[in-house]
Amino acid sequence: MTNKHKIQASVYHLFVCVLGLMMIYPVLWMVSGSLKNNAEILNGGMNLIPPQWRFSNFFTGYQGFGGITFQTFFSNSFFVASVSTLATVLSSSCVAYAFSRVSFKGRNIWFMSMICTMMLPSQIILVPQYIIYNKLGLVGTYLPLILPHFFGQAFFIYQMMQFGSGIPKDLDEAAIIDGCSKYSIFTRIFLPLLKPSIVTTIIIQFYWKWDDFMSPMIYLSKPRMYTASVAIKNFADSTSTTDYGAMFAMSTLSLIPVFLIFLFFNRYLVEGISGSGIKG
Amino acid sequence: MNELKTNWKKILYHNNTVGYIFSFPFLFGFFAFTLIPVLVSVYYSMTNYKLGQSPVFIGLENYRNLFSDDRFLNSVKVTLIYVITSVPSKLIFALFIAYLLTQKHSGVTFYRSLYYVPSLIGGSIAVALVWKTIFSRKGLANTILASFGVPKLSWLGEPHLAMGILVLMSVWQFGSSMIIFAAGLKEISPTYYEAAEIDGANKWQRFTAITLPCLSPIILYNLIMQTITAFMAFTQAFVITQGGPNDSTNFYALYVYNHAFKWSNMGYASAMSWVMLALISIITFLLFKTSKFWVFTEADQ
Amino acid sequence: MKIKKLTALFLSGLMTLSIAGCSGSKPAASAETVSKDTGKQITLRMAWWGSQTRHDATNKVIELYESQNPNVHIEAEFYDFDSYFTKLDTLVAADDVWDIFQLGGNFPKYIKNIEPLDGYIKDGVINTSDTTENFLATTKDNNGSQIGISIGTNTYGIAYDPELFQKAGLAEPDNDWTWDDWKKDCITIKEKLGIYGSSKIDHFIAGVTMRASQAKKDANFFKKTNDGIESEDPAPFADYLKMIKELTDDGAYPDAGAIKEIKDIEGDYLVTGDAAMTWVSSNQVSSIVHASGRNIKIAPVPRLTKNGPYGMGVQSSQQLCISSNSKAKEEAAKFINFFVNDIEANKILNGERGVPIMSKVREAVVSQADDSGKIIYDFVDKIGNFPKEDSNVISPDPKAEIEDQYKLLIEKVQYGDVTPEDAAKQLLDFSKSKFQH
Repeated sequence: MTNKHKIQASVYHLFVCVLGLMMIYPVLWMVSGSLKNNAEILNGGMNLIPPQWRFSNFFTGYQGFGGITFQTFFSNSFFVASVSTLATVLSSSCVAYAFSRVSFKGRNIWFMSMICTMMLPSQIILVPQYIIYNKLGLVGTYLPLILPHFFGQAFFIYQMMQFGSGIPKDLDEAAIIDGCSKYSIFTRIFLPLLKPSIVTTIIIQFYWKWDDFMSPMIYLSKPRMYTASVAIKNFADSTSTTDYGAMFAMSTLSLIPVFLIFLFFNRYLVEGISGSGIKG
Repeated sequence: MNELKTNWKKILYHNNTVGYIFSFPFLFGFFAFTLIPVLVSVYYSMTNYKLGQSPVFIGLENYRNLFSDDRFLNSVKVTLIYVITSVPSKLIFALFIAYLLTQKHSGVTFYRSLYYVPSLIGGSIAVALVWKTIFSRKGLANTILASFGVPKLSWLGEPHLAMGILVLMSVWQFGSSMIIFAAGLKEISPTYYEAAEIDGANKWQRFTAITLPCLSPIILYNLIMQTITAFMAFTQAFVITQGGPNDSTNFYALYVYNHAFKWSNMGYASAMSWVMLALISIITFLLFKTSKFWVFTEADQ
Repeated sequence: MKIKKLTALFLSGLMTLSIAGCSGSKPAASAETVSKDTGKQITLRMAWWGSQTRHDATNKVIELYESQNPNVHIEAEFYDFDSYFTKLDTLVAADDVWDIFQLGGNFPKYIKNIEPLDGYIKDGVINTSDTTENFLATTKDNNGSQIGISIGTNTYGIAYDPELFQKAGLAEPDNDWTWDDWKKDCITIKEKLGIYGSSKIDHFIAGVTMRASQAKKDANFFKKTNDGIESEDPAPFADYLKMIKELTDDGAYPDAGAIKEIKDIEGDYLVTGDAAMTWVSSNQVSSIVHASGRNIKIAPVPRLTKNGPYGMGVQSSQQLCISSNSKAKEEAAKFINFFVNDIEANKILNGERGVPIMSKVREAVVSQADDSGKIIYDFVDKIGNFPKEDSNVISPDPKAEIEDQYKLLIEKVQYGDVTPEDAAKQLLDFSKSKFQH
């Protein structure tokens, strides 16, 4: 390494670190809040170091409500988030393949309808949707939370389409000459080359479902089935007092699974999964 | 027998068949769970519907009322301001960080996690508290300003500043855009850069001549998705400003929620959503149209 | 192929979890009525909003009831306030409301979904012999039918720090102080101590509903029939807005930004020492006392004129109602009777929802109260003994929307966009328009 390179590298690291610390400061504040009591959180200003390390917040918070601990809430969240994520990846990649690689009649209309479904606020279709699930007898189960993901999700379908647009059409043609069908092109060419998009889908979708509050709150009824997001919101009742310490402690714990998922899959993004898969 | 088989095969491998088989999940979900609620909301939009009572058909009255509702017109205005300021800043920042963090340096994985964490805490009450504390009169933001000799500001009390806080927060939670950009950047073949380096192109030239064009489909994607998401912005305004002060952050989705649930005017809220759907789809359509001029697909390469 | 292995691992983890998850995912059984002699299970769905303390206590009471009535199973659901009402609205639209549910003063909005309790009171299923007609009236609709039974009563007041009053050279507020006194006190405190006179006030109660009843004896902002606006004269409302505007400009009352900074009753400016007074609901007093760690007292809300009407009595903070689509109404009524009358159950609930209306229950709860609890009971007693007035304690359907419009108007007045007089007129016009349908 030359001196010039060394200086460049140090500038890079310094810049990234300082900016990173600024970005992460509010998160650290929340984590430190998990070791404070209400007065220290509400009136303690921007102090990061708790005056007293109150680990008891974690114990009181973990106790949950009415004898149901956060172990139950976390595993419920994990179940809902994993199944939904898996379903999203499978269904969205199929639909993305159809929309981007197969020219069939009506394709543009369906694509436009799909994009338009994202433009209605969820609050508006919540009530009619609830009535449908209620008529089907599915309210009170996890199905209303999971089922929609088996039908693809516009955000990820479109993402996969855009990533797929980098895959040269020549590849498809070459494969057909080699005797591949449109079906095997999906598994042999489209899916393998879509890995970066699939990994980002997993990271983002898992977090979204983990964090989702509205649908679990509306569709679940038994507290034993609540997800962590609903349970954490339960700490903060606007008409009475909130145990902020316990809430921050559980919010901190709740960060861990999503962060681990991110760490785990991020490696594949850094290494570059498809490597030299695409040649122009 | 053989003829039948080839006929069958012809049908099976026909583009229309393949297309509908692969898009079946979407179509099924669309017809079974999305279309009916959407049509119902069209009907609601033409009724006076209070939850718990039966809807009363009133034709287009809700739509007529909307255009004389100052709070609605104001909410459209502030939502547009929010979209126009937050989306480009967020995307530029996300692209910048993604570019920084795909450079070949040690510790890049670690850095990327560092930058992603803020996006993992969503719009929770914890975040609302943090932001209120940072921007309170005695908070961090004012302390920093004071050290530059700038007088204290009432961040949550000044309409423009309150909007600024929400824009800043949206930029701060740029993680998903960053990840998508990073994945896109990794897909650009290193051979392009090598060739350019041999040609003597500097970093900036390489960025504009290779990175941006190769990344353009992803940029379009992020632009469209973030624009739609920003139009739907609800949580931040709900937990931090509650639409205030003086309605300066009364985003359209928040106003819809208030009408639908808090004030139980479901019909009016539905009408509002449809007016906004028209506006959002026009903007999205225009973005798609412009993409012809700046988005490169593999065919152009 | 690392990814394949990982996916396999991920999948197998998923399978184990899905088994665990599915075991709890039986569809929610709706209430089934079965005649008693068959001895079959009866399931009741019940829901409330509140904090962790309330969730735990209420669940314990449910367990107690189930142990005494083995044939009854109660499925409880609990949420925070905002989520509770979003969910209730959805259930109302789907005609799927819980058998027993908690409501506040906004019950007229849900009147179609509530089963009146008069029959059950007459038959003695719900015993109301231990309370007064006044308390029962707080949860009756305008036709006089009993909509629910109050499970806690409260009232509003001004909490203040006597030491700060002394430092500012002020006398402590008495029982019939006026808004003019309050305003003068605020200005003096600002001058002498450099802090806000008062922290956040509930403007809609102080400046609109209670104000209407203070301006004229037995008058109300909302008609007692809850189908319109009784107030005609904007002057009393304009005066209030003018007072708030002057205090804000003076720095004696927090501006809109400073109000937004208050995160919670425990972060109130009275608690932090940045104000000498604040508006409280009586059931919040103990959290203020505990959070501040100082001596805090509570005074009645100021009146418009000395010896004039007070404008508000003791109200029901929450009530239990039975849903009209419940299939086990009688069983639900039995549970409500237990919830409001059982001494053991109320010792567990500990008056956290407000002061109980049944006198024996109340005695039991008072006897186990701590110092801050005693302040509450004394204060509620004091207000309860004020001369009786005919004030409307019910919030009609459009109240939420009118209240939010008023909050916006107050901000506009504070920013100087609208004059107090215009804002008061706009309030009346807007409110009237909300009843025209």
